[in-house]
Amino acid sequence: MIVATALLLSLASCEKSFLELTPPTSLTPEYALATEADLQVALRGAYAGLKTTGQYGRSLPVLGDLMADNTYISVQNTGRYPGFSLYNYTVGDGDVTALWQNSYTVILRANNIINSKIADNANVLQYKGEAYAIRALAYFNLVRYFATPYTQDPNALGVPLVTVYNPDTKPGRAKVSEVYDQINRDLTQAFTLMTKFTNSSQFSKYAAEALQAKVYLTMGNMTAAKTAALDVINNSGFTAVTAANHAAYWAGAAPLTSKLETLFEVSFDAVSNNGFDALAYIYLQSGNYGDMLCNSELYSKFDAADVRKALYTTGTRGGLASVFVTNKFTSYSGDHTDTKVLRLSEMYLIAAEASYPTSTTDALTYVNKVTANRGAPAITSSGAALLEDIILERRKELAFEGDRYLDMQRLKRNITRSTDYPASARSIDFTNFRRLMPIPQVELDANPTIKAQQNPGWN
Amino acid sequence: MRKFVAILLCAVLAVTQVSAQNRTVRGKVTEDGKKPVANASVLVKGSTLGTKTDDNGNYTIAVPASAKVLTFSALNFETQEQSIGSKTEINVVLTATVSELQQVIVTGYGTTKKAANTGSIAIVKAADIENLPFTSVDKALQGKVAGLQSVASSGQPGASQAILIRGASSISASNSPLWVIDGVPVNAGDASRLQTTGNLLSTLNPNDIESISVLKDAASQSIYGSRAANGVIVITTKKGKAGKTKFRFDTEVGNSKVAYQNPKYLPLDANQYMNLTRDGLSAYGYSAAQINSIMPATFGEGNGNDFNWYNNIMRTGTQKQYNLSAEGGNDKTNFFLSGGSFFQEGTSINSQLERNNLNVRITNKATDRLTIGFNLNAGSVNQRAPLNGGAFGNPLLSTYFLLPSYSAYKPDGTYNYTLNGGLHNTIALASMDKRYLRQTSARGSLTGEYKILDNLKFKSVYGIDYNNLEEDQYNNPNHGDGAATNGRAFAYYTRYFNYVWTNTLDFQQNITRNGDLSTSTQIGYEAQKSAGYFSSLQSQQFPPSLSLTWPASGASPTTASATISDYTFESQFASTNLNYQNRFVLSGSFRRDGSSRFSAAHRYGNFWSVGATWNIEKEKFMADQKIFDQLKLRSSYGVNGNAGIGNYDAPALYGFGFNYNQLPGSAPTNVGDPNLTWELNKPFNVGIDFSVFKNRVNVTVDYYVRKSENLLLSVPLSSTSGFASATRNIGAMQNKGIEFSINVVPVQTKDLRWDIDFNFANNNNKITSLPNHADILSGNFIIREGVSINTFFLREYAGVNPGTGDPMWYDTDKHGASSNVYPGASARILAGQALPKFFGSLSNGLTYKAFTFNAQLYYNFGNKTFDTWRSYYLGSGNGPSFNKVVRQLDAWKNPGDRTDIPRYIYNGNKSFSSGSTFNLNDGSFVRLRDIQFGYNVPKALLEKYKLGTANIYVRGTNLFTWVKDNNMPFDPEQGTASASNLNVFIPKTVTVGLSLTF
Repeated sequence: MIVATALLLSLASCEKSFLELTPPTSLTPEYALATEADLQVALRGAYAGLKTTGQYGRSLPVLGDLMADNTYISVQNTGRYPGFSLYNYTVGDGDVTALWQNSYTVILRANNIINSKIADNANVLQYKGEAYAIRALAYFNLVRYFATPYTQDPNALGVPLVTVYNPDTKPGRAKVSEVYDQINRDLTQAFTLMTKFTNSSQFSKYAAEALQAKVYLTMGNMTAAKTAALDVINNSGFTAVTAANHAAYWAGAAPLTSKLETLFEVSFDAVSNNGFDALAYIYLQSGNYGDMLCNSELYSKFDAADVRKALYTTGTRGGLASVFVTNKFTSYSGDHTDTKVLRLSEMYLIAAEASYPTSTTDALTYVNKVTANRGAPAITSSGAALLEDIILERRKELAFEGDRYLDMQRLKRNITRSTDYPASARSIDFTNFRRLMPIPQVELDANPTIKAQQNPGWN
Repeated sequence: MRKFVAILLCAVLAVTQVSAQNRTVRGKVTEDGKKPVANASVLVKGSTLGTKTDDNGNYTIAVPASAKVLTFSALNFETQEQSIGSKTEINVVLTATVSELQQVIVTGYGTTKKAANTGSIAIVKAADIENLPFTSVDKALQGKVAGLQSVASSGQPGASQAILIRGASSISASNSPLWVIDGVPVNAGDASRLQTTGNLLSTLNPNDIESISVLKDAASQSIYGSRAANGVIVITTKKGKAGKTKFRFDTEVGNSKVAYQNPKYLPLDANQYMNLTRDGLSAYGYSAAQINSIMPATFGEGNGNDFNWYNNIMRTGTQKQYNLSAEGGNDKTNFFLSGGSFFQEGTSINSQLERNNLNVRITNKATDRLTIGFNLNAGSVNQRAPLNGGAFGNPLLSTYFLLPSYSAYKPDGTYNYTLNGGLHNTIALASMDKRYLRQTSARGSLTGEYKILDNLKFKSVYGIDYNNLEEDQYNNPNHGDGAATNGRAFAYYTRYFNYVWTNTLDFQQNITRNGDLSTSTQIGYEAQKSAGYFSSLQSQQFPPSLSLTWPASGASPTTASATISDYTFESQFASTNLNYQNRFVLSGSFRRDGSSRFSAAHRYGNFWSVGATWNIEKEKFMADQKIFDQLKLRSSYGVNGNAGIGNYDAPALYGFGFNYNQLPGSAPTNVGDPNLTWELNKPFNVGIDFSVFKNRVNVTVDYYVRKSENLLLSVPLSSTSGFASATRNIGAMQNKGIEFSINVVPVQTKDLRWDIDFNFANNNNKITSLPNHADILSGNFIIREGVSINTFFLREYAGVNPGTGDPMWYDTDKHGASSNVYPGASARILAGQALPKFFGSLSNGLTYKAFTFNAQLYYNFGNKTFDTWRSYYLGSGNGPSFNKVVRQLDAWKNPGDRTDIPRYIYNGNKSFSSGSTFNLNDGSFVRLRDIQFGYNVPKALLEKYKLGTANIYVRGTNLFTWVKDNNMPFDPEQGTASASNLNVFIPKTVTVGLSLTF
């Protein structure tokens, strides 16, 4: 019994430290977000969230072209994204789920920065400003893929708005207009708070405004779109890429501090990249997947003198000759190609399109800044043809950057595809229910509020 | 070491010499000193001279001068040897064997007599697990214990094995039992990080195991408190027996092939594939001219190749093992030494395991009161395992995905790297890349046992469990996974050091003077810490030579990481029992556990059990009956716990490594719950053991209900929160079942003995409570109140429209109208469960003179299996540039065709490739788990070569597999989730073996 007593005593004496173990590679939130420097680390985590394959790592740039008429899947392929070519993807689709989940992961990371109680100073405000812009970008992607275009019905169901971390939240869908209100509030905050420019891989004041120009264009608010785009063009200090440095610009893999062209891009480096899931892998031939080819109809639109044509090579794949391969994304070894999100040239295109209803002169001026920079013939059309030319110029300039499908959405257009595409999916009407992605099955299963708010057709 | 040699010498020299005379010996053979044993055989050892005892147990035998030893044997008694010496009267008390109440059972922290046992404990003896062609003991347990489900998911030698005892009790926390080896709760399971599978127990040689106790109910488990919820498997390794040093040598060699394959699920040959693809391209909309151009360029049509990837990747694996042991000692010291070597190749390329191990146990009675002991079991495993699942480097994937028109070799004999779909030549990679696991384990303990009083014993055990894993991978720069980075190599190092210090005090006391009422009590204290250490590195950009395979040769280091992961437990425990004449026994246990996994406020848990047994045959009213040799009732109830979650799941956490531009980034990684605490498991058990017909029929039946509460549940969150799930204590479930096992000896004569063992277990699992009664969806499974865990929840496939060849699905979950539109989530149905409804085994053993025959059939009924990758090889056109299986040829072709496979359309037909009930197969199977013919070499011959015993045998494992479902694609054994993943196929093995003692 003496022994037993001694044992019990020894237990009482050492128990606390023996059972007190702290995680070796993680911190509790109060320690992880304690200082201004911690906030900067957390901000990088928010940017890193944009790198997943469900975001700018691959899906966003690929789907924006594949679901439209810029890229198609070769007869010889590795079975990636076929449902978006054939328009038979399902409610449980992994790429849809990833797009949804990864967007909200980014939003959580941004929310925690925005809601931080660390005392304000220029750096803290800059970090918060960048976080506002990141959150706006994530909601902008969500609302465009999962909700009826604002131009069709601002009162339609948008996506759930979550601005404060709460693990038990089961939100319903806000209205499309409410989502755009949130995006615009965030971008205004971002523009106001930011004072610093780091490089093209981080948001800056004018990158936020460039995003806002695109948001206004998507809402059909042409006046505001034009104002914002011109403010970026005139006051950001960025210069547009020209015919002379076009090839070098696309060949570069590193973020730029020169304020050349790229207002914002998502950076992939030699260490943190998506390996075989890198964007370049899906386009480049020889040793890569090379599944995605350029629609021959798009290729045919480039004038021989257009420097953009040099970004495409002609080849044979799967026994079919004269297929076109894009070389916009070239680096999958060492420093990987970054994914462009906002470019100054797009600001000219926005300015042109936004000017069209009020001033075709302005429209021609701005769109021809782009054609001139590419060695392409100047646009001279007028009336409805001018608008079509501006849209086409957008298509040519922003091809393979995930833009085309979202243009077709905001413009409420049917998609007509060439014979490169499967016979069963060459005409994708605006009314096709798969033009809106479904709220993913996992979300319906976990969130009772949203269960009854599925997009039409997805039952 | 010198001491050790001295002990060995002592043992050898201690053999006593006896002188012999020519005379008659007589005596009496009894059971307990009083009850005579009739018809017992008395033999002069080493001769055929013998006699039998009469009805009073008396015998008389004439003994020649050369005779030294008499052997006494009788049915249901242990054979005993007595040296003759100068004696003329030898009286013998025989000890009863199996199914007698005095049998010692190893339990948690001690032993008990069968009569005093109140719990449900199954025992597996050494003979049942020795020399089997299995890489780890958990695999050998399949079918051996009623209610213990041991299921493989891979035939990779060294693969992990899932074990469920009385069903699954947890949804998100661990369902694996606690393994206790020689008193040390060890780290078990798969600790590999680069390999596709691994098994810490693979370093333990099953031949070193003396017995395994499987603790199945509260009375037996709860002493392990918070870690007992999934059952406890207590392993005792072999001990030496005093006497002349005995050597034993075992060897077994043989080979293995795929145990089960279905001709409908073999890949197509070149012609079959080309014709199918032509049809598919045409259906897709390509013109004949385009098709003629596509076929040769994309699929190599007409290039003259018809390479059978399947046959070239499958192989006959070789298998061999050698084990040598020595045991002996004197009345003070005994020892057991063993060493073993084991080698096994998988059924396909790039898959093998080699194990070398040694084992030492020494026990010394230092004084009358002090006994000290030491044991060490150390082993090293060298495992080579291929990738699995959808990895392009998976050889199994390539058997189904690579086209026969692309050979592994060019005409000049070099490897061909130009293949369909960007796939890898896994035959080339097997020789150029490497994927190794070297796993070293050492499990051992130091024990001191001191008798403070005759009835008070203090015992202290300090045990260690050390596992060290070195994983190396190299991907060459020319072809395969290394090509994109110009070669790459990984080196991962994993170490777990786990120590346990257990101190117990055992007290035995007669409460009444005559000993009719007695008690035995144990109290104890235990502290355990498991310290994990992990370092990982990778480098890329390699020189061209394929012999430079270490990360040191890479120019660009890309991963450099190291971290730790620890857990601690601290416990006090006590158990007691009250025994009245061995007729009534009451038992109780209590344990208080503290765990580092929970926050300070919720760290401790109290666990307990009560049990009782009534040995009815000991009652006076049973004295005259002749039917029951044994009749025992048992029951128990208690509470134990499950702490099988991650080491750091309780706190909310920010993790790091979310880097941007190679600068550090952080992000929330764990929701956390400060109130997180033990999951509770409350098992109730009632059982009966009886023996009839002079112990020729022994039956054990158990009924149990175990309820799990406060489940450590991974609750799905709305993704809009930024998290997919959080671990919470919420929900409840129940397992209810019956276990039945019977042992019958229909024939027992001098020359012939026939044993039949049958066991059956049925388990009904039911989720009884979920937060807000809401379903939880998890992959293909639903967790729903009233339904079993791991129930498939899928859209219901309605077959093929005979008019169009379109796939059809039921529009709702009501099995009503169907259409060719893949329906929404609400159309999913409960489509069967992944866990079997009942399973067990039937064994027959025959011994006729020198010949032995054993066979065990294992059966498993009532579950479904999910064919994970069929969307590619049986997706009616999905993944069109990959090969297909023969069953795809049954696809619809013309209007009116009746089939369940839709028309083959290039790139897929509607959403046929999406998951539905079409992916499911009935998982019921019966398998000839083991069959063995043996021959014991006659004594006369053995003596010539100075051998003790010699047994030679031929064994077959998994030789025959019957499946209920004709369309079962792969082996029906696919883990507890019953989902195939293109793992190395499970082998059937034929071996010949030899076992010698000398």
